[in-house]
Amino acid sequence: MDEVVVVGYGVQKKSEVTGAISSISGSDIQGLVTPSFESQLAGRAAGVQVTSNNGIIGEAPRIRIRGIASIGSGTSPLVVVDGMPIYSGDVGGYASANGLGDINPNDIESYEILKDGAATAIYGSRAANGVILITTKKGKRGTMKVGYSTVTGFASAIKTFDLLETPDFLVISNEKRTNRGQAPWAVGNQYNTNWQDAVLKTGALQTDHNLSFNGGSEATKYFFSMGYANQEGVAKANSLARYNLRASLEHNLNKWLTIGGSIALTRTEYEGLNTGMNSLSGNIFNATRQLPNTPIFNADHPTGYNLTPDNSFVGQWDNTDPVGDNISNIAYVLAKNKYKSKVNRTIVNTFASMDLFEGLNYRFQASADNPLTSGFLYWNPVHGDGRGSNGRLQNNNNDLLRWNIQNILSYNKSFNNEHNLGVTLVSEYQKEKNQSFFGTGTDLLDEFYNQNLVTNAYGTQTSGGGITENGIISYVGRVSYNYKQKYFLQGSIRRDGISKLSAANRWNNFTGYSAGWNIANEGFWGDLKNTVNEFKIRGSYSEVGNTEIGSYPYLGLTSASKYGTLNGITFSQFGNDQLLWETSKKTDFGVDVAMFNNKLRLTFDYYNNDIDGLILDVPLPASLGVPGSRIKKNIGAMSNKGYEFGVDYRAVSNEKFSWNITANLTMDKNEVLSIPNGQDILGGTFSDANIAQNLIIREGQPINSIYGFKYWGVNKANGNPVYYKADGSLVQGNLATARYAVYDPSNPADVSQASSLSASSDRVILGNTLPKYYGALINRLTYGDFDLSFMFRFSGGNKIFNSTRRDLVTQNLNNNSTEILGRWQSPENPGDGVTPRLWASSNTFTNLTGSATTRFLEDGDFISLDNLTLGYQMPKSLTERIKVDNIRLFVQGQNLLTITDYKGLNPEMETGGVDLNGTPRAKIVSVGLNVNL
Amino acid sequence: MKNIFKFLAVSVIGIGMVSCSEEAILDLSPINNISIDDAFSSPSLIQSSLNGMYNAAAIGEYNGTGRGYVWGAAFVQQGDNRGEDVVNTATFYQLTYTATYDGTTANNVYYWIDGYRLINRTNLVIEGVTKAIENGILTPEVGNDYIGQAKFLRAITHFELLNFFARPYNFTPGATHPGVPYREVGIDTQSEIDSEMLKGRNTVAETYDKVLADLNDAENLITSTQLTKASKNAAIAFKTRVYLHMRNWNKVIEEGNKLTGAYTLTAEPDGVFDDSYGNTESIFSTLQSATNNPGVNAALASQYNGRRLVAISPIIWRDPSWLVDDKRRSETYSGEDPDGMVFTVGGRKYTAKYRDRVNYTDAAPVIRYAEVLLNMAEAHARKSTPDLLASLELLNKVRNRALASPATQAYTAASFTTPAAMVAAIIKERRIEFLMEGRRWSDIHRLQGDDLHPIDGIPAKVGNGNPPATAYVLGTPYTGPYGVDAIPGSDPRFLWPIPQVEIDANPTLAGQQNPGWN
Repeated sequence: MDEVVVVGYGVQKKSEVTGAISSISGSDIQGLVTPSFESQLAGRAAGVQVTSNNGIIGEAPRIRIRGIASIGSGTSPLVVVDGMPIYSGDVGGYASANGLGDINPNDIESYEILKDGAATAIYGSRAANGVILITTKKGKRGTMKVGYSTVTGFASAIKTFDLLETPDFLVISNEKRTNRGQAPWAVGNQYNTNWQDAVLKTGALQTDHNLSFNGGSEATKYFFSMGYANQEGVAKANSLARYNLRASLEHNLNKWLTIGGSIALTRTEYEGLNTGMNSLSGNIFNATRQLPNTPIFNADHPTGYNLTPDNSFVGQWDNTDPVGDNISNIAYVLAKNKYKSKVNRTIVNTFASMDLFEGLNYRFQASADNPLTSGFLYWNPVHGDGRGSNGRLQNNNNDLLRWNIQNILSYNKSFNNEHNLGVTLVSEYQKEKNQSFFGTGTDLLDEFYNQNLVTNAYGTQTSGGGITENGIISYVGRVSYNYKQKYFLQGSIRRDGISKLSAANRWNNFTGYSAGWNIANEGFWGDLKNTVNEFKIRGSYSEVGNTEIGSYPYLGLTSASKYGTLNGITFSQFGNDQLLWETSKKTDFGVDVAMFNNKLRLTFDYYNNDIDGLILDVPLPASLGVPGSRIKKNIGAMSNKGYEFGVDYRAVSNEKFSWNITANLTMDKNEVLSIPNGQDILGGTFSDANIAQNLIIREGQPINSIYGFKYWGVNKANGNPVYYKADGSLVQGNLATARYAVYDPSNPADVSQASSLSASSDRVILGNTLPKYYGALINRLTYGDFDLSFMFRFSGGNKIFNSTRRDLVTQNLNNNSTEILGRWQSPENPGDGVTPRLWASSNTFTNLTGSATTRFLEDGDFISLDNLTLGYQMPKSLTERIKVDNIRLFVQGQNLLTITDYKGLNPEMETGGVDLNGTPRAKIVSVGLNVNL
Repeated sequence: MKNIFKFLAVSVIGIGMVSCSEEAILDLSPINNISIDDAFSSPSLIQSSLNGMYNAAAIGEYNGTGRGYVWGAAFVQQGDNRGEDVVNTATFYQLTYTATYDGTTANNVYYWIDGYRLINRTNLVIEGVTKAIENGILTPEVGNDYIGQAKFLRAITHFELLNFFARPYNFTPGATHPGVPYREVGIDTQSEIDSEMLKGRNTVAETYDKVLADLNDAENLITSTQLTKASKNAAIAFKTRVYLHMRNWNKVIEEGNKLTGAYTLTAEPDGVFDDSYGNTESIFSTLQSATNNPGVNAALASQYNGRRLVAISPIIWRDPSWLVDDKRRSETYSGEDPDGMVFTVGGRKYTAKYRDRVNYTDAAPVIRYAEVLLNMAEAHARKSTPDLLASLELLNKVRNRALASPATQAYTAASFTTPAAMVAAIIKERRIEFLMEGRRWSDIHRLQGDDLHPIDGIPAKVGNGNPPATAYVLGTPYTGPYGVDAIPGSDPRFLWPIPQVEIDANPTLAGQQNPGWN
């Protein structure tokens, strides 16, 4: 019953917690092969969404705790390791380098996810997006234990695109042209190349080794671990190698004073590539466009690759035209170009803990996190992205340093076993300084120079860099009280000051209150207690803030801005010195029920997160010429409301057989309540035009809704695409003239009545990009020496704009997906009713590449078998003979199966609800071994 | 005793804490950025602010990077692709080329955004420098030179926007139809935002008046003579362009004559491009350096040369009045790099005017003397008492340097006996001489409803994509196929819509959108 959970600045008995906290044990998810720990949290707790939207190692998964809590500011949770808020997000270099990837998942004892106001209020200004607390493994009293674990896996793409092979490609490409009265494009069937093989690996090797030592005497405890991971990505040229060392030591100097600390050293090396969703040498963008009747290699070309004679594009072979969009030969690019990030990271933590008198403890803690990242980029001068500048060499360096000091006074006292009081007082100081610089050389002397910048080996050189700093000071108080474990009350207040706001507005107070009542501990509950042994209702309210608002948003600033070679400065940020904190008001009502002696535990929560004073970029007329045509104001409001359900059921538990079922379900609804002047924000929260052009933020709607044209289908008379105007009438896009004409169902062939399809008045909201529900079902079984676990995860109620699918039906001289075989060919052979008549070089018009349309809009519902593990524990009789505590062997599969109607690779491969040219996620089959001595 | 130790321990750490002062942690100020309040506080910072203004002209801001909007590259690319003398071969300029744009299309949106971004910088410079003169930080001589340069950029940028977002001067008598808002206030406070938002579109006549007033001020104030900065002569040269659009022929001649002797045509037609910073003909070009240019996705040498995204159109290439041996067809190479006027790949012709496809350091040519001469030639042919001889002489000045044999091939007084014929020849010469320098759209625009050489709307174009090599065989004029239909002048697509982002955020302009774009 006395299970303890980690809370902000301390621990609490689980039975006394009145906030919404999900705990996940590190051992539950160890052994999974992932580049970083957070992707293992997917599905493990209600209210927590972790989405890996592509298969690139090094890219940070998206984490949302109870939805999206901001429009213009940060939306990632705070990650705290042993009390230290660490750097998350990308830490620099030229390959994606996820800051959380430096933490060795095998060093983690437990995760606590703080979700509601009561739990997060103690983190005040930094809590708007929730908090993930990570506790690392520590030494345990006793003789030294040695643990070794290893996993070896093989990864391949969950799915690849269904592209045309040469025979169909020839028909389709030439039909595009002949329909338009032009000569055929595609000639030659000597080759039938699957260009996806040029960018994807099957059976990519992923291995992991961990060795740990832990033990201790009465006074001294230690933990030491070493880890090595080596993962190849499913994308060619993508990999990770990680080396971890972690040591922690605690020593009781005397009865009242304990000192100790830990140090974690990591070196993580990433190799990456160009994955730009709209880049000519972006791996998927490029591979899906290549012509199947052209080869990858050409022995007659000096490079050995199929390139044009001047090396500018991929060779067109017998085709009459160069490949559409003038793309490069991606195989050459991936073989030559280099993108690297090497992260050397130190996280140190020291503390002294003093029991001053009974119940009163003072703890001093000083920590620092220092990722040092060096990046290297090389673009080959002969072909690809580097050809334009005759090659490129680039080195960069990022030095991120954050230090944090905390003083924690805590007092815990029970009076007569009736009144239980806990008081925590904290002062906390944190500052970070982030420095970077880079050097670039272009116009290379020779492609020989491809390892580093080498003095004078290039014609043009550039350098740059900068520093940002910010600081935060916090004073925190928390009081918790319960009477006989029946009535629980807790209140906290935090006063935060941040350097990002003006002196007049930088301080703010954040308060949180919660109360609980464990009815099962009341006398009147009587014998029911034998069945329902806990029945706790709880409620909380708090105000928290968001500090991820950029540096100095309140100041009017200039930036260095050169004219040719001449130094210049210019207006770059419109300052608003009235800017205040962005705050959220979080309300939560919950019930915790335990039955049959904790055999069945149920948790239910209702939450309402009202965010106001959102710092939003208020759009200004572009004709004012103000930087970015925006000014930041505290003007928006948004809410996330939802329900969470959790079940934990030990169905069977005996010597021979056990079966444990865990399930969770979250239903979430986001609504934008107010934005400046009620004026739509086109583009949503995205600045990348490929995503932004499909999105809108509108009052009364969920954030980032898909916005575009409603598609009716194909005009059976002539193959033109037909759309709805805002008034419900129909227009057809006349492919021959790229103009719109009225579509009259009684006379569909008539294109004489001009009409229009207006971006300003005919676009409507097409769908919501946020799942309305999501959850998981986890089963764990043991039978004798065998164990089996598996997790199904599900999500749905959201729409996805499948922009990849639109790219794959391009009207240029590029390959297509097999979807295009359903095109309209004649009134007698009208095809699938969705795909219009082919018309060469009319891609922007035929497929409306500037806006979303319902033609490519799909449901995002899915159920996936995320992982399946089967383990075998060697019998004690055997292990004892060789003086080993235990040996476990296991096989597992990850991402084995996804059940969905979604036509793309995977419904989670979306950014802002838009799927565009992502690298397929990995399906991994692995075997592993755990040994404890 | 034990308690004393505890007390000491707590005290020591407590003292450690006090050193975490609020000043060190919270009172931080930017390291990367100078405050806007200090931008005009010293002569050197003011000079830098002036260069920052030119940066907005030469690089611009496009979705987080610079793509040469307006005066670094886009004025050439958009000006060409709106016309029929080039072929867009890939997707890059397709929306402009095929006129399938709307109020959200990036090309026209950034033309507007970056135009006004530059204009606000010019206004901030004018205000900042004026204050600096008052405060004695700058001498009036230096300060007025800066103000003149800012006014030059303010004028030409408003004028450029007029040519894309408003109907030509002669569209209504007195040019009372809508032009563009003429911004003359440097906006960096909320109250300036509020008051400027109330201002709607000036009429075309008002816009022209303000453009000319600024150019006259520029002519009087500027002392700088650099090619890559605004100069007195650049202001004069630009006035010949503005008066030509305004159809004030006498003024074209009057202004043009001021430049006699100041500039000469280079000996060879490619002289301007052989040495884009040091020739005798260029009047104003923007500065592009190896480390500061519109980059691989916009720089002229990248798009037109290295990546070949736009080809010369067979329509102009096969025009019979462009003689087969004209030097502007010359194709020479230094190693593999073209250094003549054109180059060929796959039988298609591309311009070689922009040479540096590695570092993109070619100057972006805004105006050169050949244009002043042809502007004057046209004015002489059109003025109330046409002077066809003067016109012919000016036309020949430009054309003859490109002829293989001027003695036999030059136009004579007998070649064109009417103003209309003369004007037609001059317009054709402009298409050849300024091919792929972004001038075509301005001519199409100003010739709408013209009395002598009318163009209705946007002419038909060769289809988007790579034309076959056979389309470039000389000997007969190109007669089709045209993959992009002509667009009549009455069609809304003749003008770009005011961008949706402007309409959404500006209640005043929301009611003043170009017709047909609501």
